[in-house]
Amino acid sequence: MEAVPPKSIKRVPSYCYNCVSGPDLMKVKVVDGVATEIEPNFDAAEVHPAKGKVCVKAYGLVQKTYNPNRVRTPMKRTNPKKGRNEDPGFVPISWDEALDIVAAKLKAVKAKGLIDDAGLPRVAVSLGHGGTPSNYMGTFPAFLQAWGPVDFSFGSGQGVKCVHSEHLYGEFWHRAFTVAADTPNCRYNIAVGANVDVTGGPCAVIRHADARVRGYKRVQVEPHLTATGACSAEWVPIRPKTDPAFLFALIHVLVRENGLAKLDVPFLRDRTASPYLIGPGGLYLRDADSGKPLVWDEASARAVPHDTQGAVPAVAGSFRVARAVTVDADKERVEHVEVEGVTAYEMLARHIEKYSPEWAEGVCDVKADTIRRIANEYLEAASIGETIVIDGKTLPLRPVAVTLGKSVNNGWGAYECCWARTVLAALVGALENPGGLLGTTVRLNKTRDNRHLSVAPGEDGFMVQYFNPTSKEEWQFQPSTRNLHQTLVPIVGHNGAWSQALGPTQLAWMFQGERPDDWSMPMPTLPEVWLVYRSNPSISFWDTRHLADIAAKFPFMACFAYTVDETNYMADVLLPEATDLESEQMIRMGGTKYMEQFWDHKGVVLRGKAVEPQGEARDFTWITTELAKRTGLLESYVKAVNKGVAGVAPLKGEGYDFSLSGEPSPEQIWDSVCKAATFTISEGREQHGLDWYREHGFYTVPMSRLEWYLTPTMEQHGLRYELPYQERLLRAGRELGRRLHEKQMNWWDEQLAEYQALPEWHDVPGRWIHNLEKAGAKAADFPFWLLTTKSMQYHAGGNAAIAVMDEVAQNLRGHAGVIINAKTAAGLGIAEGDRIEVRSHIGVTRGKASLAHGVRPDTLVIMGQFDHWATPYAKGMEAPSLNTIAPMSLDLTDATGSGADIVRVAVRKLEEAKAA
Amino acid sequence: MKPATLRAAQLAAPKQQRNWDWRAAANFICGGAGGGLLLFAAFAGFGRGATLASLLAGMALIGTGLTCVWFEIGRPWRALNVYRHIASSWMTREAVVALAVFGCGALAVLTGSVVAAVFAGICGGAFLYSQARILAANKGIPAWRHPASVPLLVATGLAEGATLALAIGALAGAVIGVGLVVAALILVLVRAWAWWRYRAGLGSTGAPEAALRVLDGFAPRLLWLGTVLPALALLALLFGMPGLGPVLLLVVLLAAGTGAWLKYTLVRRAAFTQGLAIDHIPVRGRGPAGPAVKPGWKPASQG
Amino acid sequence: MTRYAMSIDLRRCVGCQTCTASCKGANATPPGIQWRRVLDIESGEFPDVRRSFLPIACMHCGDPPCEAVCPTEATTKRADGLVAIDYDLCIGCANCVMACPYDARSIVHEVRYAYGDAPMASEAKRFDPGRIGVSMKCSFCKDRIDHAARTGQKPGVDPEVTPACVNSCISGAMAFGDLDDADSGISRLLAETQHFRMHEELGTAPGVYYIWDKS
Repeated sequence: MEAVPPKSIKRVPSYCYNCVSGPDLMKVKVVDGVATEIEPNFDAAEVHPAKGKVCVKAYGLVQKTYNPNRVRTPMKRTNPKKGRNEDPGFVPISWDEALDIVAAKLKAVKAKGLIDDAGLPRVAVSLGHGGTPSNYMGTFPAFLQAWGPVDFSFGSGQGVKCVHSEHLYGEFWHRAFTVAADTPNCRYNIAVGANVDVTGGPCAVIRHADARVRGYKRVQVEPHLTATGACSAEWVPIRPKTDPAFLFALIHVLVRENGLAKLDVPFLRDRTASPYLIGPGGLYLRDADSGKPLVWDEASARAVPHDTQGAVPAVAGSFRVARAVTVDADKERVEHVEVEGVTAYEMLARHIEKYSPEWAEGVCDVKADTIRRIANEYLEAASIGETIVIDGKTLPLRPVAVTLGKSVNNGWGAYECCWARTVLAALVGALENPGGLLGTTVRLNKTRDNRHLSVAPGEDGFMVQYFNPTSKEEWQFQPSTRNLHQTLVPIVGHNGAWSQALGPTQLAWMFQGERPDDWSMPMPTLPEVWLVYRSNPSISFWDTRHLADIAAKFPFMACFAYTVDETNYMADVLLPEATDLESEQMIRMGGTKYMEQFWDHKGVVLRGKAVEPQGEARDFTWITTELAKRTGLLESYVKAVNKGVAGVAPLKGEGYDFSLSGEPSPEQIWDSVCKAATFTISEGREQHGLDWYREHGFYTVPMSRLEWYLTPTMEQHGLRYELPYQERLLRAGRELGRRLHEKQMNWWDEQLAEYQALPEWHDVPGRWIHNLEKAGAKAADFPFWLLTTKSMQYHAGGNAAIAVMDEVAQNLRGHAGVIINAKTAAGLGIAEGDRIEVRSHIGVTRGKASLAHGVRPDTLVIMGQFDHWATPYAKGMEAPSLNTIAPMSLDLTDATGSGADIVRVAVRKLEEAKAA
Repeated sequence: MKPATLRAAQLAAPKQQRNWDWRAAANFICGGAGGGLLLFAAFAGFGRGATLASLLAGMALIGTGLTCVWFEIGRPWRALNVYRHIASSWMTREAVVALAVFGCGALAVLTGSVVAAVFAGICGGAFLYSQARILAANKGIPAWRHPASVPLLVATGLAEGATLALAIGALAGAVIGVGLVVAALILVLVRAWAWWRYRAGLGSTGAPEAALRVLDGFAPRLLWLGTVLPALALLALLFGMPGLGPVLLLVVLLAAGTGAWLKYTLVRRAAFTQGLAIDHIPVRGRGPAGPAVKPGWKPASQG
Repeated sequence: MTRYAMSIDLRRCVGCQTCTASCKGANATPPGIQWRRVLDIESGEFPDVRRSFLPIACMHCGDPPCEAVCPTEATTKRADGLVAIDYDLCIGCANCVMACPYDARSIVHEVRYAYGDAPMASEAKRFDPGRIGVSMKCSFCKDRIDHAARTGQKPGVDPEVTPACVNSCISGAMAFGDLDDADSGISRLLAETQHFRMHEELGTAPGVYYIWDKS
């Protein structure tokens, strides 16, 4: 509606990718040149799983565009001192000046060499949430490729606060960077903290809504009743960070109380390593000649290599093996004669015996009967034996899945959880089969666009893996990144650009300050140039006040800036880029991707330029091209663009050539990308340029739903999932331990203990208590757990400064406040809306109490991370944040390098006068 | 709505209305008392001076109330649109009656016509009744929409009118008939009865807890200050206690004052909205449906 | 006859406020004014707690109490079931606000913008002084329904003539259409589900149906 009749109305097709669950499709209504509304793109209703709709965040994009607090011109810092209490004194400058300043710094680095004396890249780049910035930064990836080594270590939480262990182990076991239920077919979903109705985007929301109406059962296991929990059939309020115990007990009920006969024996036998025989040292018994793991062939009653044709491997039991070898760390080979071999499944059965529901009840504060009932319901719902026909192919239907949420699948205990839930899937044959537990996509393995192509035979009958080497010869003693990802985390691998960004990024921050006493590696240096885009670690990491102090020490920092924020407050140069609605870019869409983007189509979508950029904001592709030109990298940058680094497809291939040369304009670049994309996706049938996409927005071709499931691909390759026994991890951990100890380093020993073939329960929550005691605090003084939870309105959009999001978010309980159990609050004299103080052993955060019955009495929850002090608008929210008071600590870092958003706290009501 | 910073947990529960502030309350306070006063001015049997004074005071009260409202409405310069919906709007009817009040009242004042004064009195009563119906027509406010609110408001206006008439009559030196004193006494008692009938009615139909809390907090004031004390004073008057003036003043202060207080309480403080409710918590997959949820309500018959 | 109505499937709603935000965009409502919103309602005590999401807006009642009390005839009930407000007639007396048992109406007395005193371009473009000081509420996106009458499109079927909230809903909770048409999507949906209308006991005959289970 407009008060005055408009002269022109147009609707520009585009996408929203403000969180990892994108892209979703939308149209921007533009009235007389002004963007006024966001609407769904119903042209895509038939191809997009969410029917062409975007979530609430996208409806903030109009305000995001016209927010008067935007940085509208390039700026430079005039106050050489940096710090929270130092006004940066930003003054407007021209683009020429701004680009020259940045280019001069980069050229100086180039002259000195891209790697410094410590072996670390001199340029660091920080990009925000889960890869989403690449959907807005145009051709910048091509510039980075042209540049060479860059350190992505200084993350804003990724690699640590993401669903980190799920990324690493998910890809390891089933090429699942993230893991989802096959919701459209699923009948029973145990969601352990998986908050998909908040974080899964429109695709997840509609799939689960359909499933609810269809009658599936979702059991939500979490300390605080999230919106997802609200929409579930049952809520199980588990004690924080005890999820592994709960999951172990589920396995116990399946394996010990129901037994193998009720499980999916063919799946376990043929698609997993369950029959592999384990010998001395916890190692596979291997064929002495071929080195292949042995199985016990029930047909011939002898041990044979796992891939022996016609063999019928025993899943359970232990057997005498006449002759075998084991291969330990550093390829140490031991020969065995008449040795006992226990199947991996048998090892699991023995291992899990002690983890009964009765045992778990004491750990999790969940009744044993409840655990047992859930396990049995899960098994029954798995309907072992049932099949489904998909695109003409008959597949097993195993409609059960255990999904995990953030803080369950990252940090201590996450390995155990990821392992347990994948084992739970394998036991009933639900792993990568219809209805079951599916991977979404790959990021640590190539190719990003098709996880099936990443499946190739590797060692021992498993998929190929690309672990960072731990051998004596190859182990990286001199880290190549400040987060030490290749040095410390074998499983994060080296098979793509994402590996280093998924290293333990908190180590990069921590080790700029203090390092362990027995640190013997080169001292980490500060990057000489730090480029930041859509990333605000000073808000989104932990111990954020301290982190901001570290960021203030970086010698030169250039930020692509939307508004001034807590991180770019320390910047030397601010570069305002044309935001979501103001510039063009083409990306892939469709196929399968997190969180629940499972499509029946695949293709490309254009981010449409709906309106002219505000002020002097410039198209990111233009900025990138200028930077390339001014740093003498134009040629290699254009070469990278031609290779397809900026998106979708190479610009030259068989039967087509849209490659660029010279200094192409953004329009020329995207025109070529559009044509190359259409040509490749349509397999040469069609070819559309930028103008076509400006009108139509997207292009897709149909895709078989069979691509959702990996098991048929595994079957095709004759491969097994590396479950339930983790011999490879055991060996990797032993090797890594040897390497570190050889260099007299013991500071990673706690983490090394995580490399277990069958994970044992350890007191996971106790680690946080020990941490505060180690810091000299008394555990009794901090009687509550503080957790965090996400908000769909804000999550990852960096839109804390968007007024309308703030407004609509307030309709939901707990926004910008501290969620506290109503009875607990009453006992503390705290009423709804009271200002309260939440204190950990390292700091204090304040906010309004939000009373709820849907939270454990021993747990507080802060939604989001809004403790802003520089970001306009957001800094007026007076909202609390866990990040301010959660420590960054080696003790709280697991073997994958991740931590979790949890801290022990005390809470009290603030007196009115003090609150003011 | 005026800006409110309600928290999510409070959004579904009944909320104190924020659109009719003291100005709207003033219309009910002054208008009701004025309407009642006009009625008694017409029928109290005062002499010309006291009648005139009462008529003027009644009209002034109604005029003051309407002026307050005029300052409250969003589009005061379109106020005449108020006359467009006599078919069902008690606000339109109130406005029409107000015209009649001022027409008859002015005629009575200017001409001294007893007939005009009587019509003014009847119109005053009608004005009072219209106001009561305005509140009762609001389905959004449970404390108003209960049918027992109409007799309560009418009784309140009449009690105020009678006591004000007593005071004005006395000040104007008119002879105060026993009938008027008795009427005032009865009306004060009737008002109390109407209150308890109304409150019992709310209890049996159910009402927002917050509204009931406000009303119950007010009840002792109505009982002691608005009923017992004025009734005793009026009885004293009836039985010829000396010092008529101060006693009368006390009666007016107490009876009319609590009337105003009652209406302020009703129009502002106890005016909680209906709130939102769910008749059935929905089925979630295989999670069963749940019972009705009506945040902030005291179930019927527990009030 | 035509009776436009809305159904909201509470089994589907996740409380995301996408409808709230899309309504704010479609109707350019000022900060703090939400013609519709989704309530977050908790019941029970730990650990037996239920949390429900309840979208609310004008119910476009069959017997609208707001219409009855309106002294100006600004509020009218249309033949197609929509309850409409003529901003040019309304005097902003707020009687309708009091009459509505659904918290659906609001009056803004002063100009407000999202960021301080000055409007953003998007706000300036759509600022309507005619909506200051008068009663406002969800209109079922009246302009779209009226457009349908001209073009022959079907509200609830063609997005262009369907309320913005319904279009935006990512859980597919909302349906819109003609109840008098037994073949309309909403009629069929209501026939196969159990539903209630809020505060039906007040005799308002609301035009919004809340689905809570299958039949």
